[in-house]
Amino acid sequence: MATLQGYVDHRVLLILQDGRAIVGVMAGYDQKSNVVLSNSKERVYSMDAGVEEIELGLYLVKGDQIVLIGELDEALEQSVDLSTIRAEPILPIRY
Amino acid sequence: MLPLSLLNAAQNKPMLVELKNGETFNGHLVNCDNFMNITLREVYQTSADGDKFWKLKECYIRGSTIKYLRVPDTLLDAVKEEQTRAREAGRSARGAHVSGAGNRGRGMPQRGRGAMRGGPIRGGRGRGRGM
Amino acid sequence: MLIFSVFKTLTDQKVTVELKNDLSITGVLKSVDQFLNIRLDKIEVFDEARHPHMMAVKNCFIRGSVVRYVQLPAEHVDTQLLEDATRREAAAQGKR
Repeated sequence: MATLQGYVDHRVLLILQDGRAIVGVMAGYDQKSNVVLSNSKERVYSMDAGVEEIELGLYLVKGDQIVLIGELDEALEQSVDLSTIRAEPILPIRY
Repeated sequence: MLPLSLLNAAQNKPMLVELKNGETFNGHLVNCDNFMNITLREVYQTSADGDKFWKLKECYIRGSTIKYLRVPDTLLDAVKEEQTRAREAGRSARGAHVSGAGNRGRGMPQRGRGAMRGGPIRGGRGRGRGM
Repeated sequence: MLIFSVFKTLTDQKVTVELKNDLSITGVLKSVDQFLNIRLDKIEVFDEARHPHMMAVKNCFIRGSVVRYVQLPAEHVDTQLLEDATRREAAAQGKR
């Protein structure tokens, strides 16, 4: 799968089917889009508090659980103060 | 680095496994295969809502039911190191026409499993615990 | 496989992908594979005020299995050609 090429060793945002958002450094992947994330943190969104980050460490996520993987732009990332962000969590996938 | 190399290197290490239904399993990895089917020992199972617990001596989890695995941070460096060593061993073996001597000593696979893929990365740490 | 080919002809075009979690993402199609996984560049999330989760993301990989719709640029799809190709494929399948 040529399409995950280029994300390795980059900080990425991973959205899972259950709506969780995890950021971390992509350490590796395979053809089934299973993904290894290092230094990963879950970002918990809510309407009544800023974004909470929970340390998760080294994570192996199964490919069939993945919705989206986005490359984080470090400069944009720095410019955002997560504690000021209020948002509903991302919806889970519904078939 | 391939996800399955990380999982293979996690044998005998503690890990947390969450299933698609939200149940979690905390235990030590006994064995795994390329489908990510795994067996754990000394397991604490937690229900999806987190209010029920069970202790299991050993359990088998089908890979297709897994959402994610959480493994010790130290494994990443261990796997990377191993890969570098395997690469160097491979290179020197090719260069000097010495048939993989560097690789050989480090516990090449005793069992058939895993011979299909992955080349010199496999073998070595933490395997060979008969099930 | 036919649709895979269609997507390949649309690389570097602007498309909008609606996901099964109701997120809607517009971006430039950079690549696609046999599973219809999609790589998008220069992405914008629809209604970003409500969905700030991807503010710092400029390009992304979307898993084909979670895509509900892809809005294609009509002017870059030759529907006549697509119809013919579909009939050809259907006929080929009928023979087997």
